[in-house]
Formats: sequence, C-alpha cells, structure tokens
Amino acid sequence: MKRMTRRQTLVGASAAAAAGTGLMPRRATAAGELTVWWTQGFYKAENDAVIAWMADWEKRNNTKVNLTIMNGPDVITKLIAGMQVGDVPDVVHTVTGDRFLVPRAAWNDQLEDVSDVVDSQKAEFTETALLSARLYNVKQKKYSYYGVPTKGSSLMNSVWLPLLQEVGFAATDMPGTQDKFYDFFQTVQDKLRSKGKRIFGLGYSMAAKEADAGNLFHQFLVSYGGVGIVTPDGKLNIDDPAVRKAAITSLERLTTPFKKGYVPPGAINWGDVDNNNAFFAKQIVMTPNATISIAAAQMDKPDLYYKEIITRGVPLGNDGKPVASVLAIAPTIIPKGSKNVDGAKAMLRDFIQPANLNAYLKETRARYLPVMASIVKTDPYWTDPKDPHRQVAVDMGLTQPTVPWWMSYNPAYSAVLSEQVWPQAEANITQRNMNPEQATDEAAKRIKQLFEQYQK
Amino acid sequence: MTARRRSRALNRVGVWLLSSVLLIWTLLPIYNIIRVSMQEKEEVLSTSVFPVAPSPHAFEVVFRQTFWLLETFWNQMGNSFFIGIAVALLTLTIGTLTSFTISRMRIRNGWMLTNAALLTYVIPMSFLAIPFYGIMGKYGLTNNPIAVIAVEVTFATPYAIFIFQQYSASIPFELDEAARIDGASPPQIFFRIYLPLMAPALVAIGTYALLLSWNEYLYAFLLLSGGKVVTVPVTLGKFLVGDEAPWNYLMAAAIIYAIPPLLIYYGVRRKMHGGLTMGGVKG
Amino acid sequence: MVVTTSIESPAAATNTTRLARRRRGTFAADKLWALAFVTPYVAVFVAFVIYPIGYGLWLGSDPASYRSLFSDPVYPRTVVNTLLYLLFGVNLKLLLALLLSGFFMRKGWWTKILLLIFMLPWAVPALPSYLSINWMLNGQWGLINNIIWHVAQVDGPPWLDSHYFALGSVIYGHIWKWLPFWTLIFLAGRMAISLELYEAADVDGASLVQKFTHVTLPLMAGMYLVCTMLSTIWALGDFNAVRFISGGGPALSTHVLATLGIRNAFELGDPQLGMATVLTALPLLIPLVILLMRQLRRSEVTI
Repeated sequence: MKRMTRRQTLVGASAAAAAGTGLMPRRATAAGELTVWWTQGFYKAENDAVIAWMADWEKRNNTKVNLTIMNGPDVITKLIAGMQVGDVPDVVHTVTGDRFLVPRAAWNDQLEDVSDVVDSQKAEFTETALLSARLYNVKQKKYSYYGVPTKGSSLMNSVWLPLLQEVGFAATDMPGTQDKFYDFFQTVQDKLRSKGKRIFGLGYSMAAKEADAGNLFHQFLVSYGGVGIVTPDGKLNIDDPAVRKAAITSLERLTTPFKKGYVPPGAINWGDVDNNNAFFAKQIVMTPNATISIAAAQMDKPDLYYKEIITRGVPLGNDGKPVASVLAIAPTIIPKGSKNVDGAKAMLRDFIQPANLNAYLKETRARYLPVMASIVKTDPYWTDPKDPHRQVAVDMGLTQPTVPWWMSYNPAYSAVLSEQVWPQAEANITQRNMNPEQATDEAAKRIKQLFEQYQK
Repeated sequence: MTARRRSRALNRVGVWLLSSVLLIWTLLPIYNIIRVSMQEKEEVLSTSVFPVAPSPHAFEVVFRQTFWLLETFWNQMGNSFFIGIAVALLTLTIGTLTSFTISRMRIRNGWMLTNAALLTYVIPMSFLAIPFYGIMGKYGLTNNPIAVIAVEVTFATPYAIFIFQQYSASIPFELDEAARIDGASPPQIFFRIYLPLMAPALVAIGTYALLLSWNEYLYAFLLLSGGKVVTVPVTLGKFLVGDEAPWNYLMAAAIIYAIPPLLIYYGVRRKMHGGLTMGGVKG
Repeated sequence: MVVTTSIESPAAATNTTRLARRRRGTFAADKLWALAFVTPYVAVFVAFVIYPIGYGLWLGSDPASYRSLFSDPVYPRTVVNTLLYLLFGVNLKLLLALLLSGFFMRKGWWTKILLLIFMLPWAVPALPSYLSINWMLNGQWGLINNIIWHVAQVDGPPWLDSHYFALGSVIYGHIWKWLPFWTLIFLAGRMAISLELYEAADVDGASLVQKFTHVTLPLMAGMYLVCTMLSTIWALGDFNAVRFISGGGPALSTHVLATLGIRNAFELGDPQLGMATVLTALPLLIPLVILLMRQLRRSEVTI
C-alpha cells in the first residue's frame, strides 16, 4: 500500500510537471499552416468531401491544414469566445453565421476584408449572394465584402403524399397560393381525424431557438408583403403600415392553427431537427423546412424519395403573384487575428472555383444550393428532371426572385434573430394570451431598442 | 388483532409502499435510457413503453463506431479517462501537499490557505465559465485537455484539502515527532508517515475527483473541439443537432459512458462512506 | 462534506486545539519545504481562481451591459425562475433527504439493498441522466406520456411545452440527481447522534414524531442550515439540468441565471453581457458565501 501510494504520487507529480510545461507555449500557427473550422454536414459524404479537398489542397500548396469539423452552434460559440481573447482560426465556414454572428463581427471590425477573394469570381456570384456578403464596418466606415458566399438555402415545404391520398387527395389538389396552400392541410387533418388518425396537419416550427422558427416567420413576413422591414440603406421601417400589417398577419397565421390544434403542441420546443423527426414519424402531414434536407435524408430509400415525399416551394402570394424567397447564404470568413491571411485567401480563392464549389455542393445532396448561376447551367445534376426535389429547390433559390436576409442592410437584425424576437412574439400569443397586434408592438419595441445599438 | 400487531402490519405496509415509490422514482429515468438504447431508430419515435423487439444493435454501432457521430467514440472514452485520471492524480498531489503543510507543518498563515480553499469551494463553477474561456486563450490552452484538467483540479482541490485536514487530525502527532527526532525531513515524513496513513482518504478523494471530471460538460464543451480531442459528454450533446435523431445510439453510448463511474463508485463505496464521508460532486 | 466529518470525529477538535498551541518554532529549512509544498496550490489558486474572478469582474464592469440586460424581457423571467428553482429545488430536496435519511437508518438487508439502488442517480453521470429525463418527458414520444396513454388512453400533460410544467420538470430532474447525495450526508449526520439519546427517549416513552422533533431536529438543525446554504449556492450554478432538460424553453421561459449567462455570452455573442448576467446573482451570492464560510470555519474548529 505504501509503495503504491508513493508511486501514485510520483506519477501525479510528473503529471503536474507535464501540465506545468504545457502552460508555457502559446498555440502558434506557423506561417505555412492554416487552421480551419468547418461546419459539419448532415451527411458523412459532405464531411468527407471537405476533408478530401483540404488534404488535396494541402499537398498542392505545401501548407499544413489543421481542419476541425464542428456542428453549427459550436462553431459560432467557439468563434465568439475566440474573438473575445484574440485566439482565432484562419478560415471558418459557418452555416448559421450569416444570421447570428458574421454581420456583427464585420460591424465591429473583427473580420478580414475578403473583397479580393470575392472579386476573383464576382461575375459568377448571384446578386443575392453578393448582397449577403457585403456588410458594413462601423470602425472603418465602409461597406465591403467580409464573407465569401459558399452555399445557399431557402424555405421549402415537405409533404407526405400517402397521407393526402389516405383522405382522397392527390398532389395536384394542393392549392398554389399562400393562405389556401397552408389551410389545405387543416382540411387534411380534419379528414384524418375523422378516420381516427392522430396526425397533425401543419408542422410549423415555433420554438425560440435555433433557426427554423425564424426561417418560417420571415418567409411568411415576405409573403405577406413585409420585405421592407429594413431598407437597403439600413433603416428600420417597422412602423410602416404595410410592414406592420404583414407582421401581424404572419403572427396571426402561424399562431391560430397552433391554438386550434393543427400544429403539435411540442412545436413550441422544436429544435431544428425535431420537425424533421415529427415528419419522419408521420406525426405531421407537412412541414416547412429550410432546404430539401427532409427528402435528401431519405435518398437511399427510393420509394420515399421519389414517390412519397413531395417538395413544394414557397406558395404564390394571395394575389397569385410569385413571392421572393428569403435566401440565406452561408459565408466562409477569415477572422481578424488570423496569422496567415494570405494563405487563407489563397485557399478560399481556390475553393470557390466553380468546379471545386460544385463538387462540394453535390455532396450535400443539393441540400444546399449553388451561389453561382453558371454551376446550375453547366451541370445537369442540378436540373435533373428525374429528381422531384432538387429542381424545386434550384427553381426557388436561383431562378425565381430571392431577397437577402436583412442583416446585410443592418447588423442589428442579426441581434433580432439571435434574441429570437419574433418566435418570442409567437409565444406571447400562444402562451401569454396576447393578440397579434400587441405581440407585434412588443416585438417592434424590442427591435427598436436593438437597432439603437447599431447607429452608423 | 392487538394494537401492537396492527401497528407492525401498518409499518410493514408503509415500508413496502415507500420502497416501491423510491424504486420507481429512482429507476424510471434509468429504465428509459435502457429502453431507448434497445429500440430501433424508427421505434424511438413511437408510443411504446417496452421495446417491441429489444436488440443490442445500438450497442454494436457504438462499439464498432459505425455511426458517423461516433467515429471516434473510443478515442473520446480515452480522453475522458485521461482527463479523469489526471484530475484525480493532480488533486491528490496538490491536496495532500497543501493539507500536510497546513496541518502537520503548522505554517503561520495556514488559515489563509484554508480560506482560499473555502472560497473556491463555494463559488458556483459555471459562473466562471465565461472568464475561464478567455483566460485559457491567454494561456494558449484552447482546445487543449490541460485546460479542462486545470479547471477541474481547481474545483476539486478545496474539497480534497478539507477532507485531508479532517482526516489527518486523527493521525497522532507523536508519529511525526518521533520521526523528527530520528532526523527525518518534511518530505520523508510526508512520504513515509503521512501518505500511507492517509490511504483511505486518498481513495475517497481520488474517486471524488474522477467522478467530478466524469460529470463535467460545460467546460469540456467550451474548451475542447474536434472529434479527437473532446470527451464523451460533448459528443452526447452533439447528437441533439442534426437531421436524424438516433436516440438509441445516444443512449447506448450514454450507458457505456456511465459504466466506469458506476463500477468505481460501487467498488470503493465502503471506503468512501466509511471513516470519511461521501465525496460530493459539485453541481 | 466538512460538517459531517466534524460531527463524526470529535477527536479532530482536541487535536486541532493542541495543534494550535504548538504552532510556533518551525526551522528555516522546514519553512522552505513548506513553501515548496504549498506552491502548487497557491499557483492554482492565483492562476485559476483569482485571475478568472478578476477578469470576470472586469468583463462585467461595463454599465452598458446592465442597461441592455435589464431591457431584455427574458431577464426578469429568468430571475423569477432562478428564485423558484432555488426555493423549491433546494428545499424540497433537502426536506426529502432529511426524512429519507431517517428511513435508511432502519436495519435489515432490504434497506441496505434499497440504499444501493437509491444511490444510482448520483453515480450515473449527469448528462446521460438529464438527456434521459428530457426524452422521458417528451410530450409526443416520452415514456411518461406513453404510459399514461396506455393506461388511460388520454394525452399526458405537455411536460416540457408549458412554462410551469417545464420549470417543474427541471426541478424534478435536479432533485432526482442530487437527492441521494444529500440523503447520504444526513444519514451520516444521524449516525453521529449517540444512540443513547434515542434510548433515553424510548425510556421516556417518546413517539417517533417526538423523537424526531426533540432529538434529531435540534441536533441536526445546524447541519441542515449549512447544507441548505451550500446546496443553494451549487444549485445557483447548476447549468446542466436546465440546459438538457428544458433547454430554457419553451420560448426562453425557463432559463436560470447560469444558463442565460452562457446564452448571452455565446449565443448572442456578447461575453460582457453574459458575465453581467451572472454577476447580478452577487447580491444573493455574497451574503450566502460570507455566512457559509463563517459557519464552515466555525464548525471545523468547535464541534
């Protein structure tokens, strides 16, 4: 026993010594190295594609790449914390960063200007992609490109065809305009219920967390005419009667079905994955979801992918005219403090060569859309008429009109999104018995406060 | 029936009732982990109470690391062990040295150390997470297991010092004095007399430190990233983000993760409870 | 637990006083050794306690952070939640622990086995347990509502989907995880009470309740108080239960200061705001810490 403890102590002491020496060196990236953080994909192949490309680039350029693949929220958290202490990687690819982090980081002068990288493919990028990447830096008093557009996504609607058929509907029975389209699923639910099936018609995400609820609300806002909530020169325009009315209608249209029992009660707590789960469990007939990930996840089951799951884009407006899709563009950024800015830029310039970008995006199973029109035109993969989902997504996100998220006009809107102001307004209606007008006023009040913190 | 017999019968019913309530209360969440781990992926999202066709499939997936989130599972188990053992050893080393100095070497300002330890003991660990992150950046320790080890040692040591001080009070001073007369130096007393006699306390505190680090999520999550570096709880947290809900894999991995602390706890339980008291894992 | 040990080993007291009397006359060489021996702990304390506290206070010193914190509608709700969590979580848990410790004083094999099983929640790592409770309470697919559905053919309550239920669920999770630990502490406390006291009470014909109120309670009151304070402080810093059981939902209505701080720091991207959030617990924390430190120090020397 005696010897035992002594040995333990010795081991402990040497561990302490090891820890002590570990304290000394700062993690330094040598000039020939790049530290890259990449947001993990939803499929293994997507990660593998990134890993393979990085390995190849490493060889071609004789630069060591330290690649870390993390999930979406982790990337944001770590980057925020890293920026606080000035310990940042050289390249970061984020998926939700365009909403929650990048605009404010650009505003605070925490990102490298990547205009030269973007310019190298400027003719290729779509207008919305360029708009999304152009952000304001308040320290240097200028608009510039602070992110490299990498991939896009907009709202899609996934529908179970078998559930429609069960109550005697066909895919063609789904109406094409906003209110009629979503109301249709209430009818489906009523009919399913009368057959004793405990299924909900609408899978609206309504939780004050992650991205889905915000995606849904803001697409509704645009569909009801509220696209001008922030003007392109960055002014908050929420008191504009048309915008206010659109906000009220959106809130009303999202919360009333919930209160009437057409949306699962748990939706108020759904994370981004949960509406997908509810859909796969056939608890809901349809769910709005950014991207075609629901269908894409079932690609290896041809029956589901080709026959049972239907993807619909954003419905036409109630007036029958096409509505712009709110297109999110995932940026890749170089944080200020990177020790190898030139290397990082060289890597990004190579990565956004249309051919390279296309190869990567195909591995996402078209879950993400190209940010370059030429990719879609030159590679038949994107317009494959046999694929029932991909062409809908491409049509919505590239062919039809799109608008950028409002953070590119004013980073204050990024605070509105991270604080989940609108989903909280929904909860004020469903949980605290406010009416949509009151909830809108309350939200507007908070949004004005947040905008005051971002004065040019 | 006499009053006495009636009251004894009542007593028995009471014990029986309370026992069943306690069993259900304790075992329900644990049954739920096991239940889900034995279901198939699709069945997880159903309204079953018992697994329809219990299968060890999920465990197989975890063992063979065939699900992409679990690709480096054993690596991460290794990290958890490495961090846990390092924390235990460092806590024992620093704790015994400090308590030896305070209580056996009678240094003048020992009370300051005791107070310092007390202060650390009563600070909620999570409240320091934000500054800790910044500080680890300044020490150059981000994404380094040493950062997590340092945090856990910091919060485990005060408790170790208390227990060691309490325990060493029962070791007769005459032993030290006799050794001194024989010309022993403080390190000799420390190694030859103090440590051997403290053995039961060392076991208890070692276990306590190991359990503390096994429970830790927040700091491991904030300070570590990347599949090869993180500990198992961080990966378990990651399951909640994604397009699939492999709760069966999650729960199977959780069970495997829970086995080592269970074995250790039930193995040294007597030593932990006896003589000393039980080590508290700080929440 | 310091308190318990002190009760258990009265020998400690005499030794400590003797120790105090001898606290003079260390040789110079010994002083060097003593210095070398305490250096590791002092280094840890300075590097990982003093520095983070100082840095944290500095981070949270900007008045603008507090202005923006107090204007956030989530904040007042969070304060109320934190207080409810402490009030119910800590007190219910300790009361149950005190009563259960009495039950576990019973002799016999069954009690021993039951205690072994009862300790499980404490030995199982926190994260898996909380994830399990979260999934168990899921309104659609959770075990509890499945059982309710099978037994009564009705939908169970939305455990995690309404504010009060969700807060209750978090409190339940906290109690479930920590009840065994505190029961054990009180069990040790009870064991330290001399059996003769109970025997004397038996001779006087005291009932169970009388024995509890006249013997157990007075002797354990001090300990109970210290445990309440300690448990309150730890519960104040409890991040995992809220994070993994309710996730702060629905609609950010069940956050407590510890989780809101992390959210503000790392989700809203404002570490200063996050630090300000936790620092608003200081008016509660500081008096508790002072009281507790005084109590702990005293109990160490006197009992």
